[in-house]
Order: sequence, then structure tokens, then C-alpha cells
Amino acid sequence: MSKFADIRIDPGIVKRAARGDARAHEIIYRAFATPVYSICLRFTKVPAHAEDLVQETFIEVMRSIAKFRGEAALGSWIRRIAVSKALMFLRSAWTKRGQALADDWHEVTEGNAASHGISSHPDDAMDLDAALGNLPDVARAVVWLHDVEGYTHKEIAELMGKSESFSKSTLSRAYQRLRPMLAGPESDMRPQTAAVRSC
Amino acid sequence: MSGNRKDEEMICALTANEHTALQLGLRELPDTMPPREVWHRIREQAEAEGLVNQSTLRRHSTWVGGASIAAMLLVAVMIPRLISVPTEEFPVVPQNVPSNGGELTTLQTLMVQSRQLESDLRALPEAPRVLRAGTVATISGLQDRIAAIDYQLNDPLVRMSPEDRELFWRERVRLMKSLLQLRYAQAQRAAF
Repeated sequence: MSKFADIRIDPGIVKRAARGDARAHEIIYRAFATPVYSICLRFTKVPAHAEDLVQETFIEVMRSIAKFRGEAALGSWIRRIAVSKALMFLRSAWTKRGQALADDWHEVTEGNAASHGISSHPDDAMDLDAALGNLPDVARAVVWLHDVEGYTHKEIAELMGKSESFSKSTLSRAYQRLRPMLAGPESDMRPQTAAVRSC
Repeated sequence: MSGNRKDEEMICALTANEHTALQLGLRELPDTMPPREVWHRIREQAEAEGLVNQSTLRRHSTWVGGASIAAMLLVAVMIPRLISVPTEEFPVVPQNVPSNGGELTTLQTLMVQSRQLESDLRALPEAPRVLRAGTVATISGLQDRIAAIDYQLNDPLVRMSPEDRELFWRERVRLMKSLLQLRYAQAQRAAF
């Protein structure tokens, strides 16, 4: 379950925030700053960019909280803003580099993945962290949204302005890249012969 | 080949066990806390754009630094008064065990648990001077979330239903347990 879902804020605080109460906004910030920063850092990998995105996210929260009706949990609403800001940032970065959204796989090859310290049989979370960090930006975002935040392919496709097939194929390619990190007897089996799980 | 069939073949990259291991691994990756100055930047921008009430902002900014500590202390001071259980020895958290002729409510039990966890935390040795950045961030994140809960539990302007109050205390206990586990692991590492 997403870490955003674990955090609860009293509706009275939300009402006060909607009236511009600075203390209420600080309570909300303190409760959600870490998961928001973490997801932004996962997507961008650059602390300075992640800090900017946290700032943009919470300013957007301040601007829009009066319109928040409470139909969804506050955490889900804030997460959606953060994800949207982070994806927008990635899109703009790709635009600056003149690359299409789906076209950054060539940046990470098997060779340079190894040179970035990814072992074939990791024994701790640092390796998975490194492997995730070496995925192309969009693939890392899709993996995180799908497997940590629990987004569906349809939701990911909508957020990225792409098709569901794009989301599925990106996830599949990312899984292939991450597969050697999942140490265990099954990781040596070819997917065609093991009991495979659909993305 | 139909589109769906093609999709199925494309996405068959992990076994069920591998997928579960990946999800668990990803969810256990440590969170990172943003630097303190990020809030100051947000506050400045919010003030500049008129998004927050400036009078409350200025008044608040003078005491906000110590507020979370004060809130924690207030909770620590208030709990013994709020619950009618012996205050000296509490080695085991009571689970609906009658006390002073009455039965602890769920809320009282959570408060006692929380107090016991605070006490356990204080009993641990000081944190070592050299810490992993990820651990520091996780600990800070937990402390911030506990402080945010304390703000709400102690704010007289917040009207909370008994169910909500219980939910907040339950979350506080859960976060305290995580914090204690981390600090305990830290203490163990420092001992060797």
C-alpha cells in the first residue's frame, strides 16, 4: 500500500487550511513532505529538482485545497498533484533534450548498468535502489506508480498521455532489466517456463 | 495475433514470486526527508502570493521551531492525567485488562502503549554520531509524522470524533513502534 494512504489528517485541519491558516498548512506539509519528496526524488534522481517539485506540489495544495471536497483521501489527492508535477517535469526535461517520451531506453545499456554498480545477484536494498535508479526515467516512474503506488495501467496511461499498451510494455521492459536483481531460484528460469505473472 | 494476446506475451517478464519480491523490495526502500529550508521557501512563496493568512503566519513562525517538541512534551505530561492507571511500573501493555476496578477503553490502551513506547525510546542509548543518511531521513520522517499527529491531538480548535481520536492514537502507536525498532537496531549496531 502506498505510504500516502497511511497518513491521516483531521478534516478540521483541512478546513482551516482552506481558509488560509498557515499552521494548518504546516501540519499538512509536515505529514506529507517525506512521501512527496521521496516520490519526486525517485522520479527525478536530482535532489534540487525534487525540492523544487515539493515546493510546486505544496503551493498547488495551498492554491487548490479550498476545492478539495474530501471524496478521496487527502493523501491520494496530494500524491496525484505530486505525481502530476513530477511527470510534467520529466516531460519538460525530455523536451529540452529533444527526446520522445518513450525513447530513453538507449541511455542505459547492459554494459553501463554494470558499470553503475549493479550486481547480478544483489544481497540488499541498495542494489535494488541502484537498479531502479539506472532505469530510464519513464520506466522508473511506471514501475514506481504501478508497483508501489498501486496505479493501474489505465491511470498511468492517462497521467502520461499515452496508451495502456505503452504502460504495459514499458513495465515489461523495466521488469526484464530488474529481473537479475531478484535473487532466488526462480530468477534463473526463463519467463516462458516459469509460472509467470501478468503485469 | 490479437492485440490482447500480443500484450500478454509482452508483459510476461516476471514470475509471481519475483513480482512479489520486487514489490516488497521497492516498498521497503527508505523514504527521504526534504531539507528543512524547503518549508521556508514554500512559506515565503505562499506569503508572496497571498495564499496564507499573513498574521497567523508571522505569529506562528516565532514559535513553530519548538512547537513539535512542545507538543510531544504536552502529550507526555497529559497522558498520565488522562488515564486512570498506575503511573509507576508499566512493563507490559495491558490489553483490556481491568485496572482500578474498571476496564481500559481502546483509546486508553493506545495511550498507555504510546507512553510505554516513549519510555522504551528514552531508555535506549543516545543515537550514534555516525549514521546512515537513509536511517536519519527515515527517523526524521517518523518524528515529523508523530509531531504532526501531536499537533492535531493537542490543538483545541480541532474537533475530533472519538473514532477519529482513536485512529490518530493508533497511528501514533504504529509510528512510535517503527521509530523504536529503528532506534533499537541503531543501538544494536553501535554496540558491536
